Amino acid sequence: MTPPLQPGKAGSAVFTGLRRFAHAGVGLVLPALLYGLWLLAVERRWLPEQILPAPSLVWQSLQELWASGELQGHLLASASRVGWSLAVGGSAGLLLGLAMGLSRTLRDYLFPSFDVVSQFPVLGWIPLLIIFAGIDEALKISAISIAVTVPVAVNTLKGIGNIPPALFEVCRVYRFTPWQVVRRMVLPAAAPSLFNGLRQAVMQAWLTLVFVELLASSEGIGYLMVWGRQLAQLDLVIVGMVLIGAVGVALDLALRTLESWLVRWRPPAF
Amino acid sequence: MKRRTFATVLGTAPFINLLPMGARAAEARPQVIRISFPGAGTGGRPIVGGSFPANSHLQRAIDEEFKADGIRVEWKHFPGAGPALNESFANGLTDFAFGHGDLPLIVGRSTGLKHKVLMSAGRGGDSYFVVPAGSTAKSLTDLKGKRIATFKGTAGQLTTYRFFERFGLSDKDFKVISLDSDSTLAALSTGDIDGTVRAPFDVEARGVAHRIHEILNDPYITRPSTVWVGEEFEKKYPEVVQRVVTRLVKVAQWSTLEANREKQLQLWATSGTAYVDYQKGWESTKDLRDRINPLLDDYYQASIRNSIEEAKKYKLVRRDVAFDGWLEPRYLNNALKDLKLEDYWPQQAADGKVKVPGRKL
Amino acid sequence: MSAVIHPVLTVPALPARPPAPAINWRGAVLPLALLFAWWAVTALGWVDTRLIVPPANVLHTAVKTLQDPVFLQGVLFSLGRDLSGFAAGSAAGLALGLAMGTSRWADRALGPSFHTLRQVSLFAWLPLLSSWLGYGELSKLVFIALSTLYPVALGTFEGVRGVSRAHAEVARVYRFTRLQMLWRLILPAAAPQIATGLTLGLIYAWVATIGSEFLLANWGNGLGNVVIKARASFNVELIVFGMLAIGLVGTALNRIAIRIEARVLHWRAPSPSAF
Repeated sequence: MTPPLQPGKAGSAVFTGLRRFAHAGVGLVLPALLYGLWLLAVERRWLPEQILPAPSLVWQSLQELWASGELQGHLLASASRVGWSLAVGGSAGLLLGLAMGLSRTLRDYLFPSFDVVSQFPVLGWIPLLIIFAGIDEALKISAISIAVTVPVAVNTLKGIGNIPPALFEVCRVYRFTPWQVVRRMVLPAAAPSLFNGLRQAVMQAWLTLVFVELLASSEGIGYLMVWGRQLAQLDLVIVGMVLIGAVGVALDLALRTLESWLVRWRPPAF
Repeated sequence: MKRRTFATVLGTAPFINLLPMGARAAEARPQVIRISFPGAGTGGRPIVGGSFPANSHLQRAIDEEFKADGIRVEWKHFPGAGPALNESFANGLTDFAFGHGDLPLIVGRSTGLKHKVLMSAGRGGDSYFVVPAGSTAKSLTDLKGKRIATFKGTAGQLTTYRFFERFGLSDKDFKVISLDSDSTLAALSTGDIDGTVRAPFDVEARGVAHRIHEILNDPYITRPSTVWVGEEFEKKYPEVVQRVVTRLVKVAQWSTLEANREKQLQLWATSGTAYVDYQKGWESTKDLRDRINPLLDDYYQASIRNSIEEAKKYKLVRRDVAFDGWLEPRYLNNALKDLKLEDYWPQQAADGKVKVPGRKL
Repeated sequence: MSAVIHPVLTVPALPARPPAPAINWRGAVLPLALLFAWWAVTALGWVDTRLIVPPANVLHTAVKTLQDPVFLQGVLFSLGRDLSGFAAGSAAGLALGLAMGTSRWADRALGPSFHTLRQVSLFAWLPLLSSWLGYGELSKLVFIALSTLYPVALGTFEGVRGVSRAHAEVARVYRFTRLQMLWRLILPAAAPQIATGLTLGLIYAWVATIGSEFLLANWGNGLGNVVIKARASFNVELIVFGMLAIGLVGTALNRIAIRIEARVLHWRAPSPSAF
């Protein structure tokens, strides 16, 4: 927060503003250079035109796809897959984490298996999932859900582990039911870890989604990229990458806002 | 020391004239000829079958041709099919393509790839539409809105679209997903797709799928594939191109002899595609010259022109494709003349009917 | 009226129990139960045994494949790719993280681009990379290096930023040269986060290795290719075994990385989790 202007300090405020502008501007130097390089490469044909499309073509394709509604369709398909998987995998991960974190018995039974399975890369599951779940939505949702469950469960466990035991004492004093323990103490106390887990889960979900869509799909952003590749329209591939990046940024921002809103009762330490 | 070296150099000077001139002659020859197949065997193995250019690889005919000149032949196979071959050529990594399908050929030219068509690589054959074993569909109309698999960007995509057209439907009536051959087989077995255009013999024998439609020997549904050479390579080494073409025509002629049918089928089966698919697929072809035909006749030209129109109709290309100046028939004509095969093959008219029958065997 | 404060437990209060046995037998219950269910379901013929193959068959295939030198070669190839890509990516990531962490201007210039590009999910790079570099080793290695670069750079960056100002002041008082600053102050202080970044990088590198082998299949060698060939010949036992192998290698790499991390950082007191 800038301090209120004081007489005689107006000049320094302008200076501060300029300085901040310069700082932000520097961040744009690299992208501008890369863009210039791209334009130059296209003009001088450093890479054949079939493989390096011109920025203008990419922009044109983006507009065409938006106008025809195809872009929205693909975006919606991919986003809904991620959404469903986050719901399914997220709840499963939360339940698993809570179960293992709060009950020693359950932890003894589940944790060893969970520990091993959670370190399996999700991609390893996919050939098997293809055999069982086919190549339709079931495959995508199940694969992405698995990718989501692991970080959510791991971070829930970590979050519960970090809760000071004194808080459990307080719950016992108040004779909380297990449900109340979870809702009024565990969840808020473990919230930072939970959000960490959610952030990782979103990233893993995207990773798996793009992989599965590149492998076999009939709609979605990954499908768009495969189509572009097969028909030598690499501008579509770049449009796909831009979209994926944009959605990634949007999701990250949404998560941050959600987190700061949900945890607003806890004032920051600094 | 210095004086001795100088004397040695002076001493050898008169002998320099006797050095072989091979170094200079080699400039007119490439060190390696890179030949690409737009496809690969099952699992991506570097063997393909089903055509006479494939035979030239399986018999190492081109390698033999250039062994004496010390020119190496590099054979490349692309599991990514036609589109991957286009990319490789765009990167300057290939000189010849043996058997490029119509769609990727046209897409390549539309994006500015510069090559010259030398001959056609094969034509004709039958097309079948298969559905998984458990399917109750009796015709394509039953499958409206269902998932159909085809390898996008390859000639198979256009063949599938023509199948749709034949039954009064279009690609918009189905959910068309892109799968390569191996994945399509797996998807058929598990019922994950509802149909595809594919040779039915092996999958029927295994009980995995069965055919619901067949279009036999229809010159509109199937289109010829192409042998081409990159423009730059052709300009630099025209004699090499001629030798490749002549050798290919020789192999083509060998392939049309009935006595060699069985041998070819066995060779082709090493690509992983089932022997029965090749055997049954070629059973109805009584005269092998009907399908093993390198000519750039009216049928070839009309077919490619039709495919260009289809590609534009289905918005698979963004720029127009000029047909003129693309074909370079003189190498083929020279080869036919040298081998005395000018009247050997039947020439087909634009509609596929035989205009001039081939020489009596 | 003073309440008796029971010994603190993280479970609802229970009467004192005998100490837990040294080996956790309960942990084996779930896997054994699943294994039994798997065997039972195939033995009773409740499922299509072409799809859900009996465990005995998988074991048989496993034994056969492990004796096949081509398979072991494939595993080594995959590991080789993985570790080379990891080495390249980590080196680049360390350099980038150090640059962004120590220099305000480098952070301003490179930071925004880095953080934005980081949002582009890794596999989205693959089609473009393979168009430019082909289906061979180079594109796979570049992809693996890229996957490693992000977590390593991020970890290094955060570690370097976390170096306490007081320590830096002391270093300046002692007139440390750049190199000394790096070696004796920055790297040790940032070690925990760098180690975390490297561990994460190792995990991602293996995911990238397998993923690129699947998506850029070219009849080469590698564990991913084993699975692809198995798919082509519809050898489900081999697919299952291949999948297990991939998972086990990933787990092993993970465990090794964590061990090394603990060993390297053993001289540090456990970091406070207050912040």
